[in-house]
Amino acid sequence: MNPSFLPSMPLALSYPLLFGVLLVAGVMGGELARLLRLPRIIGYVVVGLIIGPLTTAMHIGPLLDQARIFVDLALGLVLFELGRRMDLRWMRRDWSLAATGIAEASLSFAAVFVLLVYEGFSPVKSGLAAAIAMTTAPSVLLFMSHETRSEGQVTERAINLAALNGLIASVLITLLLGSAHYARSKLELEIAILQPLYLFVGSVLLGLFMAVFTRVIARSIERSSDMHFTLVAGMVTAAVGLATLLKLPVILPLLAFGMFARNDERGHDLLNVNLAPVGRLLYIVLFVITGASLPLTGLAASLGVGLVLVLARVAGKTAAVLIFAPLGGLRARQAVGLALALTPMSTLALLMAHDVGQLFPSFAADLGPVFLAGLLVMEIVGPFAVQAGFTIAGETVPSLTGRYRAMPADAVERR
Amino acid sequence: MPLEFRRSDALTFGIELELMVLNTHSYDLARGAADILPRLAKQELPGEVKPEITESMIEINSRVQRRYDALLEDLIVLRDAIVGTADKLNLAIAGGGSHPFHRWNDRRIFPTERFRHVSELYGYLAKQFTVFGQHIHVGVAQPDDAVYLTHRLAPFIPHFIALSAASPFYQGEDTSFETSRLHAVSAFPLSGHMPEVRTWDEFSAFFDEMAGYGIVKSMKDFYWDIRPKPEYGTIEIRICDTPLTVDLAVQLAAYAQTLAADLLLNRRDEPLEPLYRVYGYNRFQACRFGFEGTLVYPYSRKQVRLREDLLATLERLRPTANDLGAGSALLALERMAENQVNGSRWMRECYERNHSLADVVRMQSERWGTVPRT
Repeated sequence: MNPSFLPSMPLALSYPLLFGVLLVAGVMGGELARLLRLPRIIGYVVVGLIIGPLTTAMHIGPLLDQARIFVDLALGLVLFELGRRMDLRWMRRDWSLAATGIAEASLSFAAVFVLLVYEGFSPVKSGLAAAIAMTTAPSVLLFMSHETRSEGQVTERAINLAALNGLIASVLITLLLGSAHYARSKLELEIAILQPLYLFVGSVLLGLFMAVFTRVIARSIERSSDMHFTLVAGMVTAAVGLATLLKLPVILPLLAFGMFARNDERGHDLLNVNLAPVGRLLYIVLFVITGASLPLTGLAASLGVGLVLVLARVAGKTAAVLIFAPLGGLRARQAVGLALALTPMSTLALLMAHDVGQLFPSFAADLGPVFLAGLLVMEIVGPFAVQAGFTIAGETVPSLTGRYRAMPADAVERR
Repeated sequence: MPLEFRRSDALTFGIELELMVLNTHSYDLARGAADILPRLAKQELPGEVKPEITESMIEINSRVQRRYDALLEDLIVLRDAIVGTADKLNLAIAGGGSHPFHRWNDRRIFPTERFRHVSELYGYLAKQFTVFGQHIHVGVAQPDDAVYLTHRLAPFIPHFIALSAASPFYQGEDTSFETSRLHAVSAFPLSGHMPEVRTWDEFSAFFDEMAGYGIVKSMKDFYWDIRPKPEYGTIEIRICDTPLTVDLAVQLAAYAQTLAADLLLNRRDEPLEPLYRVYGYNRFQACRFGFEGTLVYPYSRKQVRLREDLLATLERLRPTANDLGAGSALLALERMAENQVNGSRWMRECYERNHSLADVVRMQSERWGTVPRT
């Protein structure tokens, strides 16, 4: 008898199995963190940090590349949501908000740039790293605001500022990459100008196209939130695919898609869809894989500079927020809360660094370890900072235990 | 201890309005009162803006005025200040009796001692009580007049319900009622109407009795549709949904003022009992069917369409209204009754346009902020 129906030995590990393990381990890690009264994200990231070396030991390629489609989809939905929450008209009505955003992006950029140049890195590479460091992790921000049910001026402003610094950073990176190409390979000037232009205009047009198309479809299907959610998820995935196809960065078109899909007086075709039901799954994938992509062992040497980089970044952001936010009438506690909420760095920065590294390999070789070390620090500190920020601002539900629903509101407050 | 009634000038009037604070991306109720109020406190305003029980609600208290146009002017200034301040915070403000789709357990109680007490006592009722009403105060010179007017305004309560109705949707559903807000009020133990006392002394005795049982501590514990307000020297009509515009809010106040003037001039002395026998039925008809409801006259036992009764009353009051300077207000109400349009009908029509309650709320807030004066 030839037992060909039995699996052949040795067993080859399949990705679905790995993926399932990763998800379940993530869920359990998150609940363990909860038991220890830590934000769930910490649990997800730590599970990732443990799984990362395991996959390397089992000769599985980098998870970030293997599972890139899931990461892109999850981050795509996060960016879409971020774009939908961004309100440019608010920035026009309250100039202090736009000023805070531009100031915190510029100051954190300047602080990191000066530091890295001082450390002997080339200006272009330092600029790229500083631009990436300017971003606030929208995934951490949105996840924490769901988890703590935080709501109010600080939450809304943090989300808008994260969208703004993501926008500025991706434009800046595009420009810097253009100049890097020009300097490196002595390409014609036209390409150095045309490439960033293509990336920027193409991204905005793609976002606009997806938004218009989504609205058209939304009008012809049943107006229920699960139908609209599926539509949005499909369109976001397609947008990620199209962006890759057109050699566009993923971030900009998705942000633009969200912004153009926002409902206003011009139209209300799309229901506000709640990402929460599948959000948990996507967030776990996002954070576990992010954790798995941070090589713990190789970073020890770079930890010092990484730490200073993170400190410079946070100092830049905090100084700008504390100066400009009170001009918009925020109380001191709110300004501090806002500064804290802007600190996390996570998947967005990781992906940006990863993609820059692929286009510009010497960036990865030189600055990669330093950057990843800084990222690792923020991956752990960030969620605490956001939670503290929302709490200091008084915007979270008073109890974070999740049992508040069963009690009258003030029974929780009295404790 | 007799309840002291602080006398005020007869037929002066003022209003309180509870307003929704909304975010501008999903148009759900938003925590915003704590950010709006300190900013408004820095401005010189013809009235007060105060917190209410949840952080998604603010309350306007107008100044006391004698004339319709003066009150309207105050309200427009207040409205513009609030809308302008909210705008800077990316918040929207709207009228309407209830939020069409908010979930009551998302609400946060505004952190003051009294609100915490109310929340503790009433539990989920307190959060479910996230409804938005208009209170109209009319000044009276004699405490006995307050008792008299509280009774004699009762037959006109259905008019106020039909005209102000602006809460057809509740918790995401069309309730089929013109106003769903009043159900939330009815759940409280001391809702309904004042007992059939005839003088202020009798009322004081009733209050002392209730206080003796330990059931009430102050007049605030009575959730009646109309009640005397001894601290202000007024009677207070509490039945109206917050209308979708300040104009209608002030027109309703002018109607109450005119009714009070007429009732003081042409004193009624029919027995009170039949009046309250039909009260609940008439009130329900107005809540459910609005202008199309059927009213029962307590004394003649005839039935009449609410709209006919309202139009007849408005016409009868025209000379009195003109004397008070409220003629144009009553004309506007007459037009509403003729065309049978109120806030609820407007909201349902908005909903028909694209079947999104969020968009209904957006249009409500737009209407509250920008509707041109007529």
